Amino acid sequence: MDYVQAIVDGLLFGAVYALIGIGFTLIFGVMNKINMAYAAASFAGAYVSLGIAQVVGLSGDFGLPPFVMFLVSAVAGGVFAYIVYLICFRFTPDHYELASLMATIGTLLMVDEMVVQATNGEPQNYPEVLQGIFDNPMLEFSEEFAIRGDLLTLFIVAVIATLGLLWVLFRTKLGLATRAVAQQRMAAQLCGIRVDRTNATTFVIAGVLGGLAGAMIGAVVGTLLQSLVVIPLTIKGLIVTVIGGLGSIPGAIVGGLMVGAFENVFLAIRGVTERDMYVMLLLFVFLAFRPQGLFGRVAVRD
Amino acid sequence: MLEVNDIVTAYGKIEALKGVSLSVPEGQITVLLGPNGAGKTTTLMSVAGLLKPKRGSVTFEGQDITGRQPGTIVQRGIALVPENRLVFPDMNVHDNLKTGAYVRNDNEIESDIESIYERFPRLKERYHQHAGTLSGGEQQMLAVARALMARPKLMLMDEPSLGLAPMIVEEIFRIIHDLNQEGTSIFLVEQNANMALKIAHQFYLLEQGLVTFSGTPGDMDENEVIQRAYLGTTA
Repeated sequence: MDYVQAIVDGLLFGAVYALIGIGFTLIFGVMNKINMAYAAASFAGAYVSLGIAQVVGLSGDFGLPPFVMFLVSAVAGGVFAYIVYLICFRFTPDHYELASLMATIGTLLMVDEMVVQATNGEPQNYPEVLQGIFDNPMLEFSEEFAIRGDLLTLFIVAVIATLGLLWVLFRTKLGLATRAVAQQRMAAQLCGIRVDRTNATTFVIAGVLGGLAGAMIGAVVGTLLQSLVVIPLTIKGLIVTVIGGLGSIPGAIVGGLMVGAFENVFLAIRGVTERDMYVMLLLFVFLAFRPQGLFGRVAVRD
Repeated sequence: MLEVNDIVTAYGKIEALKGVSLSVPEGQITVLLGPNGAGKTTTLMSVAGLLKPKRGSVTFEGQDITGRQPGTIVQRGIALVPENRLVFPDMNVHDNLKTGAYVRNDNEIESDIESIYERFPRLKERYHQHAGTLSGGEQQMLAVARALMARPKLMLMDEPSLGLAPMIVEEIFRIIHDLNQEGTSIFLVEQNANMALKIAHQFYLLEQGLVTFSGTPGDMDENEVIQRAYLGTTA
């Protein structure tokens, strides 16, 4: 049993958890509400990219180049996220605290069921489009330890996506508006920022990240199976967000990598059937001893 | 400059303003006094577009702005410095100021920030600090500065002296006075009637959602003003 290998693999794969966590945290940041349908809706983007690939084929004449898979998944993820915004937030009265939450849970179950209908609940082979950029395994340090090329590619793509997000947030007018709405909604309105538009844009950005994450999970695992992806990854994304601290982007990044490494170690020790149990345990440890998460603030009255 | 015409603004079924009319002339400082719950903040919010009046109209420089988006109203030249300052706590001072210029598309924003720093040297010293770490007085200056970034012709101010030490309050009132001298019209809501009347050109008394008096600071006995501003007529 090689723990170093398990931890490194887990950290690299954890980058997709970080992306999902960032999506949850962004939406919570600007709206102060949880969007339970977020991960499911953006993974639906990955299914769309898969569907297109199944129709036109991959590479070759008229085929889909691998990076287009990611593009399609990301765009579709953004579109689905916007639809969720319209259904669950824009046209759901916001003076009932629970209305949006219940609407998003309903949407989550509906998306789950739609994926079941579309796939007959069977696993769908996802083209391993992350292969081939690096040799696989790329860096063989010894008999026991090597870095997987596809995981390294995934990690790099996730880092680029995160840097892109931070650039938008801290270097553009759109980002300024997003941060303003997240920190002080009324003052943002007084500065002329349209809160509803900012909310919608945030959903789309989060959806793009989620679509990308969904496609990369499909590519690394080699299949998309609804019963292992839609609801379980929604829950894992929420766990990442809680561990990192709701509303904190650095928290989501660290939380994602941490959960990735943690679950992979327990996968190595206890096997796939028990893995998620220990992730839940980690969540309870945090809820009991550090409920505000790694980077969250202790709630204070203002 | 600003004409508020018989506006009724309600929270649900409760009417906070029951037909308020007042006017703010160009180049002056107009003060709105009244006890807690009289509807002073509601009046400002109705002008700034945060609340939509059920009835009545608001016109600015002859144009109807009733129920327009806050962004449109800022662009027309009305900026509100809100009660409790409401700075963006996790943004540095510089970004707070940039947000104040959100509706502008010209290329003089950075040079405006420079002149803000000349006016408020304390903000310059702290330009990279998160606004949430500033003192109350500094946050109030930042809130005023942020509103100035929109280049307003009329500034609405909601209790800028609230919770500040007396020395800082004097500084804030001096800033208001200076801004007015430079040509910005001011519509000021205050609890501190004493200080407000010293710089006011004219004032209104608002009680239970209605304007009950209007005039210039000499028109009413100061003790009566203060009593009605804090307690209302019924006391």
